[in-house]
Amino acid sequence: MAQAKNSKGGKDNFTRNLVIAVVIGVVLIMLVPTILSKQTNTSAAVPSIVSVEDGYGMVFNKELQDVPFIEIYEDFQCPACARFETIVGEYLEDLINTKKAKVAYHPLSFLGPESQLAANAAGCAADEGQFIQFHKLLYANQPAENSGAWSSSYFTTFSLGLGITSKEYEKCVNNNEYKDWVINVANEGAKRNINSTPTVFINGKEIDRDRAYNSLGEFMLAVSKA
Amino acid sequence: MKNRFVILQPWIGLVARLTLGGVLFAAGYLKVDTPDESQMAVRAYEMLPISLANLLGLILPFVEVVIGALLILGALTRVMAALGGFTMFIFIIAIAQAWARGLNIDCGCFGGGGAVEPGQTKYLQEILRDLGLVFLAAYLIRYPSTKFSLDRNENRKSSQGEVE
Repeated sequence: MAQAKNSKGGKDNFTRNLVIAVVIGVVLIMLVPTILSKQTNTSAAVPSIVSVEDGYGMVFNKELQDVPFIEIYEDFQCPACARFETIVGEYLEDLINTKKAKVAYHPLSFLGPESQLAANAAGCAADEGQFIQFHKLLYANQPAENSGAWSSSYFTTFSLGLGITSKEYEKCVNNNEYKDWVINVANEGAKRNINSTPTVFINGKEIDRDRAYNSLGEFMLAVSKA
Repeated sequence: MKNRFVILQPWIGLVARLTLGGVLFAAGYLKVDTPDESQMAVRAYEMLPISLANLLGLILPFVEVVIGALLILGALTRVMAALGGFTMFIFIIAIAQAWARGLNIDCGCFGGGGAVEPGQTKYLQEILRDLGLVFLAAYLIRYPSTKFSLDRNENRKSSQGEVE
């Protein structure tokens, strides 16, 4: 380096420095929008059942006190989440309907853009009062991760199976209306150190990773102890 | 023997540069699109405060792309090899501490990451791979002049030139 001015090497540093500047410049141009897109937008449109103070989760039975508070972090594309749904989904639905628990759903989107679309559509379905049904049907038909199966038109067609025919739902899905909300959910999950999906808390404490995710009996036990 | 090494050295350097650079570039490139996942991968090591881990998870893929791209092009070879080697060294420490503490995580080196089922971890392979890359980085720090690089090769014509 000290001999950079020496012409012995026959190459001049201008080309090299230009290349370095271009590489760093291009990457910075990519980095800035990524950082900006990760900012929480406090004025984001949110589905009507979302509770901002509960990490932007969609909360059922929010008004209930003295019942277990179950929080579920999931990604609609994650196979383990689909498994968890088949094991405890019906029981959770029952807890919600019989008002025996307060339940918050946090749809994360770390697996990719299709998770983002699904989370947005789930919010749209929640506005139609169909979140639980949407949730169940979605997991029952979960395609392979990022296979391109999930698109806006997929979700507008899919909802017909749930009897959702409203124009608002269609508009909500097509315009990706809850895009910023989905980012907020992800940011809150990141702040809460959610490192795998599904992650479930009961009254703020994570359930036993080795047992309660794979067995309805263990899960019910965890709820009853809460 | 010495003469043969003098001839081979820039070619070995080229292979080292492309391997280290290629791995770093690919690792970064595969993660720039999935910042949430990358943040999760860093958090899962449980080494940093959460906010710092989230920041690192956001930036690290881009840093890897820069170091990787410049190594592939052969620009600032010695500096980039030092940075790349340092990065790998930190990864080794991070993976080793996760292993020692009995965490069950994927290194998240090429995307993915986060918690995995017990028995699904690949700590040994991950550490050995990174050790190999540290070795390549060390070689490039010692012999930074390589074939087909944008750097000026200062030691051309003088076999003692690489001793600085």
